[in-house]
Amino acid sequence: MLRQGIYILLLIAAMLAGHVGLFAWRDAGAPLGMGRLQLIELIAVLAVAAAGGIGLLGMLSLERKCLAMAGAVRKMTEAGVVSPVDCLDPDLHPLAVAINGWAERSQAAVSTASLKAKEMEIRMKVAIAERQHAESIIYSISDAVLVTDSFDELVLANESAARTFEFDLAKVDRAPVGSILHDPKLIGLIREMRQSNSKTERRIVEHTVKAPGGGRTYKVTLSCFADRANTGANGAVRPAGVVAVLHDMTKEKELAAMKNDFVSNVSHELRTPLASIKAYVEMLIDGEADDERTKTEFYEVIQNEANRLGRLIDDILNISRIESGLVKVNKQPQSLAVIIKEAVEVIVPQAKQKNICVREGSTPIFYQTLADRDMLYQAVLNLLSNAVKYTPEGGSIEIQTIVDEANRTVVTRINDTGVGIPAKDLPFVFEKFYRAEANNRMAKGTGLGLSLVKQIVETVHGGKIFVESTVGRGSSFGFELKLAE
Amino acid sequence: MSVEETTTVAVNEALGKTILVADDETHILHVVSMKLRNAGYNVVTARDGQEALDLATAERPDMLITDYHMPQLSGLELCQRLQQDPATAGIPTIMLTARGYNLELADTASSGIRCMLSKPFSPRQLLATVNDVLRGVAA
Repeated sequence: MLRQGIYILLLIAAMLAGHVGLFAWRDAGAPLGMGRLQLIELIAVLAVAAAGGIGLLGMLSLERKCLAMAGAVRKMTEAGVVSPVDCLDPDLHPLAVAINGWAERSQAAVSTASLKAKEMEIRMKVAIAERQHAESIIYSISDAVLVTDSFDELVLANESAARTFEFDLAKVDRAPVGSILHDPKLIGLIREMRQSNSKTERRIVEHTVKAPGGGRTYKVTLSCFADRANTGANGAVRPAGVVAVLHDMTKEKELAAMKNDFVSNVSHELRTPLASIKAYVEMLIDGEADDERTKTEFYEVIQNEANRLGRLIDDILNISRIESGLVKVNKQPQSLAVIIKEAVEVIVPQAKQKNICVREGSTPIFYQTLADRDMLYQAVLNLLSNAVKYTPEGGSIEIQTIVDEANRTVVTRINDTGVGIPAKDLPFVFEKFYRAEANNRMAKGTGLGLSLVKQIVETVHGGKIFVESTVGRGSSFGFELKLAE
Repeated sequence: MSVEETTTVAVNEALGKTILVADDETHILHVVSMKLRNAGYNVVTARDGQEALDLATAERPDMLITDYHMPQLSGLELCQRLQQDPATAGIPTIMLTARGYNLELADTASSGIRCMLSKPFSPRQLLATVNDVLRGVAA
């Protein structure tokens, strides 16, 4: 303002000087001469020119300072850093104040925004970590897990689910569940669950999924999870999706069926000798056996059937212990020849009663296997006992032991000239309680002896059991064991 | 009625009656036969389902006592086969079973099975059942 004042004053002074000159010339009335007039005009022109020049210089200086301040503001904008703008001219003070005020407010807004951005960034990192955490939990579950959203799109699935339903985990990314799973019943179950909008209740369904080699049975647990951020008009929480967990219970079902069969077979086998014992005891009590011979016969039946019951219980317990891994196995280097010799000594008297010849091939005594002596003895005895049972009078039994030095194995065979086993029965002879119907009459049996031999050879000693048989010609049962190092 | 009188009545009822007993367990066959014979019945025995079917056709017994689980033909199959033949249909049957099989009522009724006894069984109770069934038939 001061500067403008000075310019105006200078202009007024120049104009006054010009007028003073003109009035002086007029009042003189006389020719003053050209020199005086010209001087006066020159003073007036110079005054006007000086005033204009000074004004122009002032304007140029102001423009330069404005540009400098604008440059400072531009730099601030470009750098994104807020700093006070210097006031370069007193006339520009209000502008500098306005700019600096704006800059301060902008600085505060930027600080607030950046704080918010940082907070959002942290929240996002936490959310990603939580999602990864949840995913790693789901991936570690051995059951198949499928998570769908409110549009029945698959949002999450684990490897087990991908294996069960044969899809690529990478394609899960919010694809419609119908395009991933080719199982209309399961898709229907997921949809029904979402529509039911049940927040608390879980639904458990048994469902069979097609699989190579027959279907597999799953226990499917379906539950809704709610979206708390997305509430309906009445404030009710809307379902965000459905979680389906599929637990494979095929094996459990098979085991349950096997257990049921086993219990049923065991009870049948136990009832049979028990029925004899009970009936004969009652006959004795009722005096139905009137002579000593009959009484003695009854006592013998009772004794034999009680022994049979005892053996049956021993066999069941032995098999059960081996199968459950509870049996105490004491493996030591043993001479197979010695074990065979001991078993043959026990069996020869029984064979003699039926006039059966038992031939024992020569087995070098120094070949040893790492074995539990008692168990292996029991296995050999069971095979020899079967050979005697199913060989008619006058037949023969041969025991062969062949050592394969190269493969470090030893094979023992027990060959008989017995009735043989029909081909249809051969695959099942080592199963618990299985008895070839055709040979039921030949001898009594529990159907557990061969099952026990198989368990002893294969489960306990890691060997192999085998059988060959021709009806009417005989059977050959054998096992292969590793030689001790 | 004294025990002696009961036995006499039973023997009188049993006179001339033939019972076919089928079981693959020798001891059971032996004990059932002895109990029935001591009570005055004629007894024929079979050790599997097929033999029982042949004997039933040949002997036309007044009653059949059979095990359920037998080689060749099961006890139920034996009964069904007997029902199919007019000559043997209607032979009252008592079935002995060790397994407690849940036979359908329709199966047992249509197969002539009057009673099921589970093993272990009492020979005394078996004889009483035989007498009851035969008396029922006679009535």
